Amino acid sequence: MSEMLSGAEILCRALVDAGVEVIFGYPGGAIMPFYHALPDHPRLRHILVRHEQAAAHAADGYARASGRVGVCVATSGPGATNLVTGLAAAHMDNSPVVAITGQVSRPMIGRDAFQETDIIGITLPITKQNYLVQDVTELAEVVAEAMAVALEGRPGPVLIDVPKDVQNQKIEWRGAQASGAAPHRDPRALARGQSLTPGASPGSLEDGVRAAARLIAGAERPLLMVGHGVILAQAYAEVRALAEKTGIPVITTLLGISAFPDGHPLHLGMPGMHGEVHVNRAIQNADVIIGIGLRFDDRVTGNTASFAPQARIVHVDRDRAEIGKNVPVTVGIVGDARDITRRLVAAVEPRRCERWVEHIRGFVRTRAESYRGDLSPEAILASIYEASHGDCTIVTDVGQHQMWVAKLYPYQRPNTHITSGGLGAMGFAVPAAMGVHLARPHGTVWAISGDGGFQMNMAEMATMVQEGLPVKMAVFNNGYLGMVRQWQQFFHEKRYSCTPIWSPDYVKLAEAYSIPGYRVKEASELADVVGRANAQPGPALVEFMIEQEANVFPMIPPGGSLSEPIEAEPAAAGGA
Amino acid sequence: MTGVPPSSSAAHTVAVLLDDALVTLNRAFGVLRRRNVPIEGLALHPSGTVGEARLTFVLKADAVTADRVAQQFHKMIGVRSVMVLANDDSTMEAKR
Repeated sequence: MSEMLSGAEILCRALVDAGVEVIFGYPGGAIMPFYHALPDHPRLRHILVRHEQAAAHAADGYARASGRVGVCVATSGPGATNLVTGLAAAHMDNSPVVAITGQVSRPMIGRDAFQETDIIGITLPITKQNYLVQDVTELAEVVAEAMAVALEGRPGPVLIDVPKDVQNQKIEWRGAQASGAAPHRDPRALARGQSLTPGASPGSLEDGVRAAARLIAGAERPLLMVGHGVILAQAYAEVRALAEKTGIPVITTLLGISAFPDGHPLHLGMPGMHGEVHVNRAIQNADVIIGIGLRFDDRVTGNTASFAPQARIVHVDRDRAEIGKNVPVTVGIVGDARDITRRLVAAVEPRRCERWVEHIRGFVRTRAESYRGDLSPEAILASIYEASHGDCTIVTDVGQHQMWVAKLYPYQRPNTHITSGGLGAMGFAVPAAMGVHLARPHGTVWAISGDGGFQMNMAEMATMVQEGLPVKMAVFNNGYLGMVRQWQQFFHEKRYSCTPIWSPDYVKLAEAYSIPGYRVKEASELADVVGRANAQPGPALVEFMIEQEANVFPMIPPGGSLSEPIEAEPAAAGGA
Repeated sequence: MTGVPPSSSAAHTVAVLLDDALVTLNRAFGVLRRRNVPIEGLALHPSGTVGEARLTFVLKADAVTADRVAQQFHKMIGVRSVMVLANDDSTMEAKR
């Protein structure tokens, strides 16, 4: 049996066939045929955002929390360009997102038509793949391929640009045509398991695992460094088994946080620019580092010339191009973090590292915090932990609060910490938390932002109300773009150029959106207010009036060595 | 450095076989631009196989950089193979 279907209807059916349940989007001229067809497909729940950037961040948040593809939709021109920041964030953090954009009709392409933009060209460097659909007969297959490409190997965003006349084009439809055998996809694009030794030809996976096991056996001061790849591969049990079988202490990068339980005796914390002193010292003293699913980002390594000077590095990554890209590697193993870690667990001999762990413990500093009042980040985060009984997902924005959360929140469950790490996109938390809620409808989600980042996407409170998304919002208000102010204090002669930032009355603002709003000025109010906000059936907002000039310590100066942290106010430290 | 025979050459010829599709070619040029690759000369030809093009360029860089560039191409969807030749060398190695 066959029927005549438009491109727009095929698009909807292809999304349903791919298992899509939620779409974040915003209608407009060139995507109107799709929106016309959408109501006939009630399985596709559409979330109407207030800005397309939020659609992309929400799809990203959904993808990270669910492990499935997040989908966002926008019209041509401004709709498409507004997606760009969200797609770049998904690209930098390897999040599987599919963006569908309307495009002007084919005869108009290239003529600078109304709301025409070359979104394929614009997104080339921030997508894994993108498609301009030239003919309706390709559409179903392109959607199926895009969904597969977004997820497979190292995940990432994919964009499908669909001209309006292709959406309106009708063809005879004979049921799902997408075979899954995508025509353009080269199976070699998927990195296969492989080991890489400098100067030698690629060897077998077993060679790499054996070489890594030998290094581990001979190491006196080994470290495990765990990144986002462990969360993407859900290799939690394997990493824990490897740590416990060998006694090797574990470091979690910003995006690796929650891949290993915080309270575990082998967990050291976060490395890098705002990593704790003992973590960075452990790196600088290590003789073997086993890095799993991380790219040795410059925020982790500081100056690579002085990074881990004594260490031989084993690097496990899904992406062959990452091995040796940022730091020299002794053994590179290409493959899935879960598979490779499981093999490592089998290959290593049981051992202990008690003296080394004891040695690292000697590096731990009790640090004078810089906040003068009692409403400290620790106290606020402890109140959120208590109110949610330690069972919620935390989505953070970018800046000082992001570092405080990364350092201080006691994550116990896997993949409960979501943040924009690679791109560092302010405005991420609020929309991404909406996506997290839709992926985990029965869990609590807190979006933690500063007063700067919150103001970037606070219009999404309207989305939460209209679509019934009970996101709990925490705003750390210090009246500054705090992280930039901190840099100005340390490196720019305290010239606070354009960093003081005015805020509206967030409590009244929340009320204007019919959302309960609270303000906390003293620590004594925390338990009561945060408890009440957490118990709200719908969204809620809590503003925390924190110390204005509080700093994140320690700090490695940009481009500096992990061995030379700033540990206190520059004045007290004798000037920076 | 991984996979490429040791070489002191500061110039390498890279040949990429890839889908002869506009978006793939765009993406390939994007890799050169995006990764800030120092190139000298760039040529695009039909490879002789239907639907396949050959992109050839001279890279003004050492073997480590050449390998890194090859890896960035290799993971691109639509790229079929990447070959790197040290310009003072007489052997060419196909990257998988």
